Amino acid sequence: MAAPATSSAVAVPAIAVLRVDGIRKAFHRGPPWHRRSVQVLRGTSLEVRPGELVGLVGENGSGKSVLMQIVVGLMERDGGTVERPARLGYCPQLPLLWDKLTVSEHFELFAEAYGLAPEDAGGRRDQLLEELGFVKYLDYRVEELSGGTRQKLNLALALLHDPELLLLDEPYSGFDWETYLRFWELADHRRAQGMGILIVSHVLTERDRLTRTYELRDGVTEVV
Amino acid sequence: MTRTGAFTREQLRSPFTLLLLVGVPAGFVAAAAGVLSDFATALGGSLAGDAASALSAGWAAAFIAGTLGFFAASSAKGADRRLALAGLGAGRVALARISSSFGIALLAAGAGFVALELVTGVAHPAHAAAAVLAFALVYLGIGVVIGSLVNGALEGSLAVAVIFLLDVFSGPGMSEQAAPWSVSRWAADVLIAAGVGQQSSARDWAEAAFVAALALFAAFATFVWSARSRV
Repeated sequence: MAAPATSSAVAVPAIAVLRVDGIRKAFHRGPPWHRRSVQVLRGTSLEVRPGELVGLVGENGSGKSVLMQIVVGLMERDGGTVERPARLGYCPQLPLLWDKLTVSEHFELFAEAYGLAPEDAGGRRDQLLEELGFVKYLDYRVEELSGGTRQKLNLALALLHDPELLLLDEPYSGFDWETYLRFWELADHRRAQGMGILIVSHVLTERDRLTRTYELRDGVTEVV
Repeated sequence: MTRTGAFTREQLRSPFTLLLLVGVPAGFVAAAAGVLSDFATALGGSLAGDAASALSAGWAAAFIAGTLGFFAASSAKGADRRLALAGLGAGRVALARISSSFGIALLAAGAGFVALELVTGVAHPAHAAAAVLAFALVYLGIGVVIGSLVNGALEGSLAVAVIFLLDVFSGPGMSEQAAPWSVSRWAADVLIAAGVGQQSSARDWAEAAFVAALALFAAFATFVWSARSRV
């Protein structure tokens, strides 16, 4: 396999809360006698330090979500290294939720997964419901929620355990304008508390809020 | 356990699921015994009468358990994997998912058994109930294995249906000798014996229990493998 291409000129300090180095990933399609391979990531590198709000942009199909899934552990990589904290929050592009369970039941399940004590989990849940403005939906099933409210729950679950690193994949798709503004307030607030945040989007209009923006093109990242 | 309860509620909140759990076993037992006898005659088997009625209860429970096992593992795959990666771990999520599906399989087996009692009665009720449960567990395992490995709802449900049909037409009583790929033949031997008032040997019981346990273990291992962290 070819050596990974160098993709970023950013220095790599020891304190990085996320360090992705030289990630390679190819997808193979079709039967063995007519196999087509698509190399999506060709040595992708980036880093996020505590308190940074970092953007990752790229065209549709550039591999942003693939990179995100590799960092989270949902997808295997062909090469490269990922260093990340155990306490990580992940907000996937498409909400990964159970349609028949209520908002409250989702919080209970994830609180258990994160190892939160019930009293802590209740307080954090209430705070997130308030911050994102969906308190009244606590007893609604996911199948009864609008797309935007599902996305709020998707985001709230990623934040429930106050992670060291927050990975957001197109987090505000479906948000109305008010929620969109709340989202950025929330991101700024968490960042000020020392949380490292990586936002993946095909369109990032709020670049002045970001510490740094990477662009993923032809499988490699560069700071833009 | 919180997560097992949540997963069980998730499955039972669909009215159609509840309808299937009760309606399919009752309808299958009432309608399928005669058809199974006809097929057995055509294929050179000896299945008929009470044996066919008893076996139809097993098949009803198997079909429901296999289908629900498949959809339980497949439809919430993304959310289950997210929960596993959030810190619960693939093993505990698998245990919760399979435990909740086990409860559903128990309901399916119960519905099949009650339908059998109501339609024809059975000579050894306790033996028949245990054998019907073994059918349900074997197919619960098959459904979860396929649901963990296959992404498409169409492909996965077809795979469950193909295994089920092959099993039905190659099991004990359907031909001169059960085919080696008939995964439920040990449970079927016990169920047919219970249906006609005969005792099964300890070996038959042990084999049926072993295959049911093996199916559940395969389901657990496959679920864990598919939901594991790739970091």
